Amino acid sequence: MLKIDNLHVRVAGKEILKGLTLQVNAGEVHAIMGPNGAGKSTLGNVLAGREGYEVTQGSVSYNGTNLLELEPEQRAAAGVFLAFQYPVEIPGVNNTYFLKAALNAQRKYRGEAELDSMQFLKSVREKLRVLHIPDDLMNRAVNAGFSGGEKKRNEIFQMALLEPKLAILDETDSGLDIDALRMVADGVNAMRYPQRAFVVITHYQRLLDYIVPDFVHVMVDGRIVESGDKSLALKLEEHGYAWIAERKLAGAA
Amino acid sequence: MRGLPSASWLARPEMDAVLDKEAWRYSERAWNALHAQEFTAANTPALLPGSLVEQFDWPETRARRVVFVNGEATATAELHLSDGERLHLVFISVPDAQPARWSLDLPITVETGSAEVVEQHIGLDGTEILGELTSHVRVGAGARLRMTTLGDLPDSVSLYRRANVSIDAGGAYSSTHALFGGRLQRFDIDVDMAGEQASYVSRGVFAPRGRQHIDVHLDARHSARDTRSDVLWRGIADQRGRGILHGAITVAAGADGADAQLQTKNLLLSPHAEIDAQPVLEIYADEVKASHGATVGQLDERALFYLRSRGVPLAAARNLLIAGFCREAFADLGDVALSARLEAVLARRLPQAQESAR
Repeated sequence: MLKIDNLHVRVAGKEILKGLTLQVNAGEVHAIMGPNGAGKSTLGNVLAGREGYEVTQGSVSYNGTNLLELEPEQRAAAGVFLAFQYPVEIPGVNNTYFLKAALNAQRKYRGEAELDSMQFLKSVREKLRVLHIPDDLMNRAVNAGFSGGEKKRNEIFQMALLEPKLAILDETDSGLDIDALRMVADGVNAMRYPQRAFVVITHYQRLLDYIVPDFVHVMVDGRIVESGDKSLALKLEEHGYAWIAERKLAGAA
Repeated sequence: MRGLPSASWLARPEMDAVLDKEAWRYSERAWNALHAQEFTAANTPALLPGSLVEQFDWPETRARRVVFVNGEATATAELHLSDGERLHLVFISVPDAQPARWSLDLPITVETGSAEVVEQHIGLDGTEILGELTSHVRVGAGARLRMTTLGDLPDSVSLYRRANVSIDAGGAYSSTHALFGGRLQRFDIDVDMAGEQASYVSRGVFAPRGRQHIDVHLDARHSARDTRSDVLWRGIADQRGRGILHGAITVAAGADGADAQLQTKNLLLSPHAEIDAQPVLEIYADEVKASHGATVGQLDERALFYLRSRGVPLAAARNLLIAGFCREAFADLGDVALSARLEAVLARRLPQAQESAR
């Protein structure tokens, strides 16, 4: 589904990703862990198509197409979803209106029939119920005045509604209390199915207790330096990232 | 030709009966102008082209509506609004035989109770006209007046409006303004919170584009104790549009306990657009709560990316953000029908702004 090969990315003249290679197949959940500044969020932003990220080398193929050539909205329509680390507050823009516009734009792009208001609201109510989110969320402006936890839950709600094929969760666990974390994880787990893949970016092993990954990758200084199964996350929790850095140095020597 | 009274008839109580029906008033000059263009005169609404009529013919205000076409050369109408009154004033500019100017003086008084005025300015393309409207508003002790101004003008019309507002003790004047179009729109408003606990709320959006120039001068004066002013405006300039928002608050000596808030945010959609925002705060009292802020900037790139990352195409995402930016000023309007009208004006006026901004 997703094939990242030797990806180099510069941000504001500074090289952040330095030859990242990663393959994600449909149905898999990949966790990407690593210390601050390793380039984890850069990866998420590059995949979603944010401006200001200059790809200097390497390629990203998504279901056989060059993902880097697509506009952000085309990537969304093709099934790529980024749950933001810092969801943006947009006062004055109503949540219902925004999500209906987003969903129907995606459907139109894919050549599917647009949903009318009744169909849309029915779908919205179902997803809200599954995620235990109160209905009034839909009458509020996008993320405006939301608490940190509400914003993250709204990201997961949007993901549930838009039903992407590749969901990238950028530190969705940060700032969540244990109940909210469980709710977010339940939302993600309910969406796991053979045609959908997840890339879960996180600092902490805690989230992976609830969203059990198929693969764990450790990212240091713009590269994946270690990959393994879920036990790798536990080792990291025990030894810290310094352990990986030392191993990496030893390997290089 | 029917006998057309000058606007001064408004002051006469017997005219209330006429107002209760459906009041349509036209100046003789306007009648002639319209007649020359061969608008059918079968019934009164048909005198005006449908594109104009649909802009103001709202069922909610039909009973209490006055329509001025090209004003009068000089006219004075004095309005005494009673409790529960809701009046819709429509000022229409249409092409005349020669370049023209109209001027109206409109004293509005609300002695007691709560009243509402919707003031609407519209016109036909190609109208070379300068309209001038002066209103002296007095809100009596404990009375409330809510005023909404909708200016949606063709490019060739200029409009100069002045308002002097005086609010007595415990009175409240709240106003919402949407200023779109016109060659030059200037709006000067002086508000004096003359009595204790008088309050003034002002919400507005102005959006110059093309070579339009929209100039807003707000002057709020706290003259008495425990008065409150709350001003929140949004400006959007596109192409070579030029906007000015001068917002001044003065808290006079002795007006302790005053609460003054002034906030303006402005958006530039083109490198040639300009908005000058000037907040001025002068405080001569000791115990005052005051804040003011003015920003001029571009669309928030983070918000734009957020919307696009969910699948909303760029042009639509820009539309959403711009409309949302305006909507903040209308958030607490509370009148569903009026909100819908404002939305309609936004919808008509804003999307064009995007396309040209690309």
